[in-house]
Amino acid sequence: MLRSALHKVGPIVNLPGRFSRYSCVKICQRNQSTDNRIEVFVNDQSVWVEPGTTVLQACEIAGIQIPRFCYHDRLSVAGNCRMCLVEIERSPKPQASCAMPVMKGMRIKPDSDVSKKAREGVMEFLLANHPLDCPICDQGGECDLQDQSMMYGSDRSRFLEHKRAVEDKNIGPLVKTIMTRCIQCTRCVRFADEIAGVSELGTTGRGNDMQIGTYVEKMFKSELSGNIIDICPVGALTSKPYAFTARPWETRKTESIDVMDAVGSNIIVSTRAGDVLRILPRLHEDINEEWISDKTRFACDGLKRQRLTQPMMRNREGKLAMCSWEDALPIVAEKMVNTKAEEMSAVVGGFADAETLTCLKDLLNRYDSEGLCTEELFITDGAGTDLRSNYLLNTSIAGIEEADLVLLVGTNPRFEAPLLNARIRKAWVHNELDVAAIGSKVDLTYSYQHLGDSTETLKQIADGSHPFCKRLSEASRPMVIVGSEVFKRDDATGIHAAVATIAQNARLRSQKGGQDDWKVLNVLHKVASQVAALDLGYKPGIDHIRKNPPKLLILLGADGGAVNKEDLPKDCFIVYIGTHGDHSAPFADVILPSAAYTEKTATFVNTEGRAQQSQTAVSPPGFAREDWKIIRALSEIMGSPLPYDDLDGVRARMSEFSPNLTKYDAVEDANYFNQAVQLARLAKPSLLNQPLQSSQLSLADFYMTDPITRASTTMSKCVRAANEDLPPDL
Amino acid sequence: MLGFLRQAVTKTVQQSLRSFHATCVAHSGAKFTHVDTPENNSDIPFDFTPENYKRIDAIMANYPEGHKVAAMMPILDVAQRQHGWLPLSAMNKVADILQVPSMRVYEVATFYTMYNRSPVGKYHLQLCTTTPCMLCGSDDILKTIQDKLGIKVGETTKDKMFTLNEVECLGACVNAPMIQINDMYYEDLKPSDMEEILDDLIAGRAPKPGPRYVVITILQLDYNVSQSEGIAILWFKKCGTKILWLYTRLNSL
Amino acid sequence: MSSLVGRSVGSLKNVPIKPIMSANPTEARRRVLTLYKQWYRAVPKIITTFKLPYTKERLQNRIREEFLKNSHIRDVRAIDMLVIKGEMDLQETLLKWKQECHMKELFQHETAIRQPTDFLGKFFSQK
Repeated sequence: MLRSALHKVGPIVNLPGRFSRYSCVKICQRNQSTDNRIEVFVNDQSVWVEPGTTVLQACEIAGIQIPRFCYHDRLSVAGNCRMCLVEIERSPKPQASCAMPVMKGMRIKPDSDVSKKAREGVMEFLLANHPLDCPICDQGGECDLQDQSMMYGSDRSRFLEHKRAVEDKNIGPLVKTIMTRCIQCTRCVRFADEIAGVSELGTTGRGNDMQIGTYVEKMFKSELSGNIIDICPVGALTSKPYAFTARPWETRKTESIDVMDAVGSNIIVSTRAGDVLRILPRLHEDINEEWISDKTRFACDGLKRQRLTQPMMRNREGKLAMCSWEDALPIVAEKMVNTKAEEMSAVVGGFADAETLTCLKDLLNRYDSEGLCTEELFITDGAGTDLRSNYLLNTSIAGIEEADLVLLVGTNPRFEAPLLNARIRKAWVHNELDVAAIGSKVDLTYSYQHLGDSTETLKQIADGSHPFCKRLSEASRPMVIVGSEVFKRDDATGIHAAVATIAQNARLRSQKGGQDDWKVLNVLHKVASQVAALDLGYKPGIDHIRKNPPKLLILLGADGGAVNKEDLPKDCFIVYIGTHGDHSAPFADVILPSAAYTEKTATFVNTEGRAQQSQTAVSPPGFAREDWKIIRALSEIMGSPLPYDDLDGVRARMSEFSPNLTKYDAVEDANYFNQAVQLARLAKPSLLNQPLQSSQLSLADFYMTDPITRASTTMSKCVRAANEDLPPDL
Repeated sequence: MLGFLRQAVTKTVQQSLRSFHATCVAHSGAKFTHVDTPENNSDIPFDFTPENYKRIDAIMANYPEGHKVAAMMPILDVAQRQHGWLPLSAMNKVADILQVPSMRVYEVATFYTMYNRSPVGKYHLQLCTTTPCMLCGSDDILKTIQDKLGIKVGETTKDKMFTLNEVECLGACVNAPMIQINDMYYEDLKPSDMEEILDDLIAGRAPKPGPRYVVITILQLDYNVSQSEGIAILWFKKCGTKILWLYTRLNSL
Repeated sequence: MSSLVGRSVGSLKNVPIKPIMSANPTEARRRVLTLYKQWYRAVPKIITTFKLPYTKERLQNRIREEFLKNSHIRDVRAIDMLVIKGEMDLQETLLKWKQECHMKELFQHETAIRQPTDFLGKFFSQK
């Protein structure tokens, strides 16, 4: 009775059924086959586990945490820190539990005196060469070594000798190294090797002289490099921009969402006294696991620079001058009321949240204007944005792990969506996933079959005449990922149609093979606002304002460079609502400062179509206001207030437009693939003979892509370091 | 230029730090990071000779497909033999050949002390100073070398002929003290032998490797040398090996 | 709730309710007037003690306002309770257990900034 109750309590399964090129021990799904499980005893408590489970995992299932330094769930097992030693009955010595598979009837005694003594001894050895600089160490307060020495260490030292000292390494502007603190757990080396796919870290020397480093002084060139700060159990690798800034107990942590790309990584925003100090990843198994990209992590200093803090208007000399909201809003309102509906337009940029998009749409629609555009492009012919399946990453990010073939079209996921790329790499490493790409030949951190960059290849694959089609037809769960950059091309419709055809053919084949609900077509967006905007019915691209030159243009953070002063009529009145004095603010007639993603509770929909909420971590600087409130206030001054004045009201309206926008953390299936392909044929798509290329080719192109990152000093240091291949100041 | 400065600074810092230590430092003193120098940086071209490429192919052929990385150590050795020591560009070349990240090669090359990652002289004197050799007088040998060549441990003579290093046990304790010069062992050394060997090397002669003496221990009870031993002694004499007769009382054994 | 005296409520019907101090409304009224006079006479002393920047009349009027605020109460027990509180308040004032700021609170409503409650007002004034 007790036994059956116990083995129903399973761990959170995080590595379901995956093979490993490394010696990664998989945690088996406990509700799979129940036959072959074996019984082990942890502190005389019986636990049923799959064969192949390690002693450490078995203890965890029994609810006992084993101390560890080198072991990490998502990395291969190294077994070199020895902290996880436990006593096992009839074993002559304590065993390293992270590397020891369970055996039938094994009696594990993690709380015995032998285990405790073993830990104490290991702790003493680890501390022998660890400096006593906790008071000046940035890891202080969140240090595994500190915590575990309190929990498991001895209460006195017997150490009288001198300590080893290791030269610090300069591995770039993001990660600060104090190598004397290193305990050689090699987590960073394994992370670089296995997850980042950039084998630039390693162990040099041996014995007491062993050290972690790059051997040759160079930058750790990875877009995920910041994660080694998190996985370092001691203060050897810390954040360089955050150095000596705050202690973890001083900061307030807000769980939020990242908007630097369309992946929507889950983050924790650490703040103190109204300042965003740093950004850390938050666990979300279906999106970012526990990693975030460097842009997500380190661009937060851009939230403090170049900010618009007060409304501005052009004065008599035609120069932008500070003014108050009471001055600015009536002027905008008057202009809007006096402008004809067809001469009124709005362009939204990459950081717009769904609430603001809703308000803006309501406002313009109220005045019979349909001029709602997104800066980012997509196709409008064929099914266009009418069918949701046309513009989503339908397979979902976690779905990549189930795929057996990925075809990338005109995208460089490594820099457009680093976490998605990390997922592809994970599947490539553990599941023997094959990758092929049409587009620029770039380093994706895994090997792939490069099919060239011509549209001809795409056409051939679509009509089945390309040799790759054979491989595609063999795959039972193929994926086609098309990057949003191809939609900038004149033949975007053609490319989308070709990709949709390839995907449709592959989907029908995989359905025949028994994969009923497998989706093949995937669109990888680059900006966080795009899916929500398309869900709300915004027109992708600024064709509309090209065709109907507006007299009044509202730019909602449209800093991507699509809208320029020269393209607009001379008498066009430009209202800029945004956070940074970046591309578009300088030529605006009125600037209304708004809140950045850390300063508002707002909804963002990622490229999978998953709605998530960002939370207010700090208040907007100066006189800046939340975006949707600006629009709502404007509507009231214009004389017809929008019928909602709080967040709940906006969200109720938002779900009237599209219910998925308020179903947080849910991915709704989009399934009209057949219809989309049929509609695409009606558009009579054609392909141009230009090569498919990405704009982000090297790491230097990754860092500065939007107003926040362009304002960030850290990001500019990164660009310099990546460009010059020269380690800047340590 | 910067690399130079940094090296100089780190050296002085290290030296000044070293003087604070009360107990002896437990590491080899070799550096486990690369510092760019004029003779050792990634811009210096390195390529194997055609003969060595053949050798590498032969070595690689010893390992099954998918495990070619295992050839790393012998290939590094080939590189070291070709170049005299193992420069950074040679490690990069090996990484190229084996198609592994260069960091993996650096890891191996820094792990093993017999890969010389900094230049050594034409003759690399590796004197064993582990306990048996020390007990049999390796300190005298060391002093002889230092006096004769004017270098200390870890240094190279100005003419780049000799580099002196202390090493741990080389497994020839039976004939202690001993020294390894390049690939050759010279055993059963006395200071005079050491001088002789160095003189030979300086003069461009090849000193005879192996034990300098055959130590024949004759028990006082039995002055007669048995027939087989006699043949051995004759053979040693024929080879020019000196015989060190050692008379020992039985009861002292 | 405050008018239990003389009122019959449910099961408490016909149960005599114990008075606090006053047996009838007349007596209660007398107590109120006495308290009022005490306050009234204390005004000059209060002004000098707390160095208040108000005239005698202004403070007297303000005290009168406070009394009139409760003029609708007919419940004898409630009146008694308020009288007791008023006496305590007076004691605290005269013995200087209060401070200047507590006295000025009486006039706070005149100087307090009214927070806007409508959307636009909130938008302009705060975040």
